Amino acid sequence: MKKRGKGVGSMWYGIGNTGLPNPAAAFIEVLSDTSVNLMVGCADIGQGSTTVMAQIAAEELGLSYENIHVISADTMVTPEGGASSASRQTFISGNATKLAARQAKATLTEVAAGFLNVPGEELIFRNGEIFSSNDNSKKMTYRELMAEMKKHGRLAVGAGAYNPKTTYLHPETMAGIPYEVYSYATTIAEVEVDTETGEIEVLKVVSAHDVGLSVNDTMVEGQIEGGVVMGEGFAVFEKIECSNGVIKNPIFSKYLIPTAMDVPDIYSVVVECEGECGPYGAKGVGEPALIPSIPAIAAAVEDAIGVRFCCLPITPTDVLRELGKLKTQ
Amino acid sequence: MSDRDFSVLGQSVIRKDALSKVLGEAKFAADYKFEGMLYGGVFRSTVPHALIKHFDASKALALPGVACVLTAKDIPGKNRTGIIIKDEPCLVDDKVRRVGDAIAIVAADTPEQVNEALDLMEVEYELLEPIFTVERALEEDSPKIHGATNVHAKKHLECGDVDAAFAKCDVIVEHTYNTSMLTHMFIEPDAGIARYEDKIMTVYCSTQNPHYDRADVAGVLGLPNNQVRIVQVTTGGGFGGKLDISVQCHIALLSHFTGKPVKMVRSRKESTNVSAKRHPMTMKAKTGATKDGKIQAVEVYMTGDTGAYASYGPAVITRAVVHCMGPYEVPNVRVDAVFTYTNNPMAGAFRGFGVPQVAYCHEGQMNAIAKELNMDPIELRLLNAHKIGTTIATGQVLEESVGFKETLIQAAAKAKEVM
Repeated sequence: MKKRGKGVGSMWYGIGNTGLPNPAAAFIEVLSDTSVNLMVGCADIGQGSTTVMAQIAAEELGLSYENIHVISADTMVTPEGGASSASRQTFISGNATKLAARQAKATLTEVAAGFLNVPGEELIFRNGEIFSSNDNSKKMTYRELMAEMKKHGRLAVGAGAYNPKTTYLHPETMAGIPYEVYSYATTIAEVEVDTETGEIEVLKVVSAHDVGLSVNDTMVEGQIEGGVVMGEGFAVFEKIECSNGVIKNPIFSKYLIPTAMDVPDIYSVVVECEGECGPYGAKGVGEPALIPSIPAIAAAVEDAIGVRFCCLPITPTDVLRELGKLKTQ
Repeated sequence: MSDRDFSVLGQSVIRKDALSKVLGEAKFAADYKFEGMLYGGVFRSTVPHALIKHFDASKALALPGVACVLTAKDIPGKNRTGIIIKDEPCLVDDKVRRVGDAIAIVAADTPEQVNEALDLMEVEYELLEPIFTVERALEEDSPKIHGATNVHAKKHLECGDVDAAFAKCDVIVEHTYNTSMLTHMFIEPDAGIARYEDKIMTVYCSTQNPHYDRADVAGVLGLPNNQVRIVQVTTGGGFGGKLDISVQCHIALLSHFTGKPVKMVRSRKESTNVSAKRHPMTMKAKTGATKDGKIQAVEVYMTGDTGAYASYGPAVITRAVVHCMGPYEVPNVRVDAVFTYTNNPMAGAFRGFGVPQVAYCHEGQMNAIAKELNMDPIELRLLNAHKIGTTIATGQVLEESVGFKETLIQAAAKAKEVM
């Protein structure tokens, strides 16, 4: 018999290292033809941080994404970025990138204000143009601005560093500020359990994530989808078998992770939330993407067959044992 | 998605790395080749806990094509690495603490010669009692893996008056939760290539942590940080498994001694055997609520096995303790946590640093409370959810960007539509 169940799981996740300083930095230079070199320590390991940093720099400078060339994670060229871990890079390297761009922009603003004869505070940099927020006729292109910069012997360079506002935690009570900001998420999963074979099929997963601001919707959804599938592995497939210190299943044929055949219908919901501390309010989603799907899937299995499990993963053998259908122990 | 007025943010621009990956042009560490390059390999322990009585590489050294075999005594700098606690030898000097500890490294002209050389190396062990469980690790008479205690880390978090709060609860649920040791299975096994470039030791590698790698490579070689260059090349995922040192120090050492570029590419098996694992954890939780559904108190006792070396263990235990009551307003909390060293594979960073484990626990508890009170699980969460102004168990007041309730509301609405 096939039985269906639903389950809910939520999570919170502090962005960056726990109760410790963990800074990152960025260098930037806007070149005379309006192309930009952005140097960040942040390692892009496939999660897309290089794209995120380029988007943040482009937004802050008022140039297009295509103008930004990113050099990342080369210790002879880029400043310290810290680890690509703790869902920290969009928040921390993103803030550093924004600060570096802002420093370069301060010089650009000074020169543009002189040329247009308006106060610098009035100037808006957007889509390759610089214009006064009070008088649309007072405007110049970025190319004109860079020519003006050259004339005055000015260079549009910037360095930015950001360290999240945390405190060391008290050694005895752990009191303190462990993180500057938190991401939140809720996942609802629906599963079908075959009570004859014990097989668990994850059918549908809805996962809603408060990311602060979504820098790139497609990449946020990609993180959520990947996280849900990894969570499925955690909940119902994966386990290192270790005997006398020896890993018995170090290869894909013995350590089962979800394949394309196991991927459920995933409905990603991106929730945004106003905040000042992240770059334009962005937080992190790398690890949050994984976390709530694990308890949600476990709860859905329990809902389907009315059995409470105390160990993950829940395998077909576990299901049959709990249903009293395992012939030999 | 954003209704704020941005020109670039919120747009699904094409990723900077998309084209090179789609065209197969992206160069991963294993794709790099340099003139005169040697290949490297690692001779690893096959026992979990032992002293090394004798090591003999003479037959390996006699093989044609073998450039050098290095052991701990050849290390010019410090023979300890580690992201938080420097407790892992680059090459074993005092004793073996796990299956897979690096005892010697070899460089040769071809990968076949490397494998042949590894097969000819001989080691004689004096076996020590191995420890495979947290329980045995904590016993007084157990052998000690590092120093005088097997306790890797201990944490205590407390706020409010937990015992008084439980006494006033209408419903209390108590359950124990266990999670397994897991591996990342990042798609690209660890790899790197090292060579001197203009007197700078340059390491091209697959990594999540280039600036940390720099300091440990410099430490092992005895060089100032600015004479080591780490270049992170296209990296095929990590999920935390590429935060620790993998091949970097070994290839740098081999390149240092041979004066030639040296490349090392781990097999899937070697990669899984020696990269950090997810901490298996046991969490015993007690949660109490009043009949209106307000959570009044949470008590958790958790243990974890960090294996032979600390790796990111200190970060995992701290984060797990801070997060283990979930995103809820809980005025009274007591958490105790102990992580031990064992002779199991090293556990470290893995997407979530202990939070996936504790989320299984706090959400299991919330669902159990909802059942006891016959409440909708979403309603129960909404009633207790973090919001602006919430004081968390560490005393921090949440002042901005708390979108938890919105995730509950939107997830429930979407589920109603599609399930």
